[in-house]
Amino acid sequence: MKERGILSASDLQKPLNKVVYGFMVLCIAFMCFTMLYPIAMTMFNGLKSNQEVNTFPPRFFPTVWHWENFSKAWNYIELPMFLKNTMLIFVGSLLVTILVLGLAAFSISRIRAPYSRAVYFFILMTLFIPASSYMIPNFVNLKDLGLLNSYWAFWLPAGANAFYFLLMKNFFDGIHPEIFEAARIDGASEVTSYLRIAVPLSIPIFATLSIFIFSSAWNDWFWPSLVMHTEDKYTLATAVYKYVINARSLDSSVKFALLFMVMIPPIFVFLVFQKFIMRSVSLSAVKG
Amino acid sequence: MEETIISPGSTHQEPEYKTRTRKKRLTSLKKYMWGYLFLAPAIAIFIVFLWVPIIKGMVYSFYNIDFVNGNIFVGMDNYIKILNNPDLLLSVRNTLYYMLLTLIIGFWVPIAASIAISELKLFQGFARIAAYLPYVVPGVVLYGMWRWMYDPVGPINAVLGWFGADPTSFISDSRYSMIALVFMETWQQFGSAMLIYLAGVLSIPRDWYEAAEIDGAGVWSRIKYITLPSMRSLIVLMLILQLIGTSQAYQSQLAMLDGGPNKATLTYALLTVKYAFTQLDYGAGTALGVLMFVVLSVLGIVQFKLTKEDY
Repeated sequence: MKERGILSASDLQKPLNKVVYGFMVLCIAFMCFTMLYPIAMTMFNGLKSNQEVNTFPPRFFPTVWHWENFSKAWNYIELPMFLKNTMLIFVGSLLVTILVLGLAAFSISRIRAPYSRAVYFFILMTLFIPASSYMIPNFVNLKDLGLLNSYWAFWLPAGANAFYFLLMKNFFDGIHPEIFEAARIDGASEVTSYLRIAVPLSIPIFATLSIFIFSSAWNDWFWPSLVMHTEDKYTLATAVYKYVINARSLDSSVKFALLFMVMIPPIFVFLVFQKFIMRSVSLSAVKG
Repeated sequence: MEETIISPGSTHQEPEYKTRTRKKRLTSLKKYMWGYLFLAPAIAIFIVFLWVPIIKGMVYSFYNIDFVNGNIFVGMDNYIKILNNPDLLLSVRNTLYYMLLTLIIGFWVPIAASIAISELKLFQGFARIAAYLPYVVPGVVLYGMWRWMYDPVGPINAVLGWFGADPTSFISDSRYSMIALVFMETWQQFGSAMLIYLAGVLSIPRDWYEAAEIDGAGVWSRIKYITLPSMRSLIVLMLILQLIGTSQAYQSQLAMLDGGPNKATLTYALLTVKYAFTQLDYGAGTALGVLMFVVLSVLGIVQFKLTKEDY
């Protein structure tokens, strides 16, 4: 027999329940449609001529397919450079997270030196301070340190994330301590047991973190636009905000082609890793 | 007899005992050297990039920040300035309005959708993916997409036109602008909350429904007395997280409308941003941040009390 839900098979025999269930299915179908429609429209608008984008009422499929919009969009801003900047921030932040936060989480979870409990609370306390309340002093602080317009302004603060720290600490807590004891008996130092045992065993949590860090590197447009003030350092999202969203003279069709290109990599990453991402969503429930 | 043997021995051993503790402390330091070395970079980074800004924020709110001529202590001037600004009250009202709208329009949607999707027998995976897909759309793309959706010649007005409504420009009409933003954000974000609720719905033991059905409970009372009570703590947690999040919202208000039309979408956090980065008055901006911190830390304490079990 199949697993039952709230409804059982006999419930569905009743006509009223049948109608309600059918209505519910229709609602979900409508929801799926409204979710997918704007995404599909962005793609098809990118393939229409500029006049057709602005006709009313809007048509779903383009009458003539203008593939050249994509090459126009590609040449409109220097996408490869902005992409490179975004990836630099992503990779650097990920490395700092794994090295700095990972080592600290390993130390607190496994080595348990005296007073590490105090350090743990020192780190966790920052979770309860709302980020926007220290956004401006944070900016002034980066300026005082001379880090403005440099990648270090993204890489170093990546090591100050209590939420990622907590995720890794909880993960290390779940690794059996016998493995580390065996390694110690075999003469492994703490560094070796972190790099050779803890890191390979923690690939799932590092993968989760890299998805979180990727999405923030790809999506954040406001903070990079403050910290980076020359064009050659902008991230992709900042560049799109400055040159595409706020552009007045840009053709709508080219604009949609650009938006579609920017949207593709995260959607692709999501569809490839969707099982994995959906599982890690529940982790973000505790993210304050 | 024994005591007489021990007591001279113990007096004799006392200096040795002291050196032993010192040795012990040294070996423990050696033993835990790596432990402290591993912690050191994280502690340094947390101090420099998190605690220093937090404490500086408190201090800077009493200063006039000037990058060229140096900072000047101005006492309570920043606070007096922001409290006398009529925009402050307006922004607080807008923020509360925005928070209320996200509750009315957005909060119940993922709960209802998670229960409905859990009952789907076919295409459940597809519905999940479709609901979550907007969440991976980058913010800047979202803004471009929805400006067109809300456009007087966009698809939403086309649908309303079937029912005979006149085309309205939703985002540039101050009556609808905030509502339009909330709909846009609900569209983007409800999928992630839905997945969290869905995990909760699916973890409810199926036998409970079986037992309730045998006892004669209808479908609605099963949802009312089993499903929703089981999700209660999750719902409360999500409510607090949403309140903390929405009270600090400014990005879509800034990107879509720059606080307009007619300051209708000027939220508190956006006022903070505008003080700092358009008027370059960092002192007043930090003072606003400190005020927000005081209010939000109350919410934060409540959240901590509720999620304590998780840590």
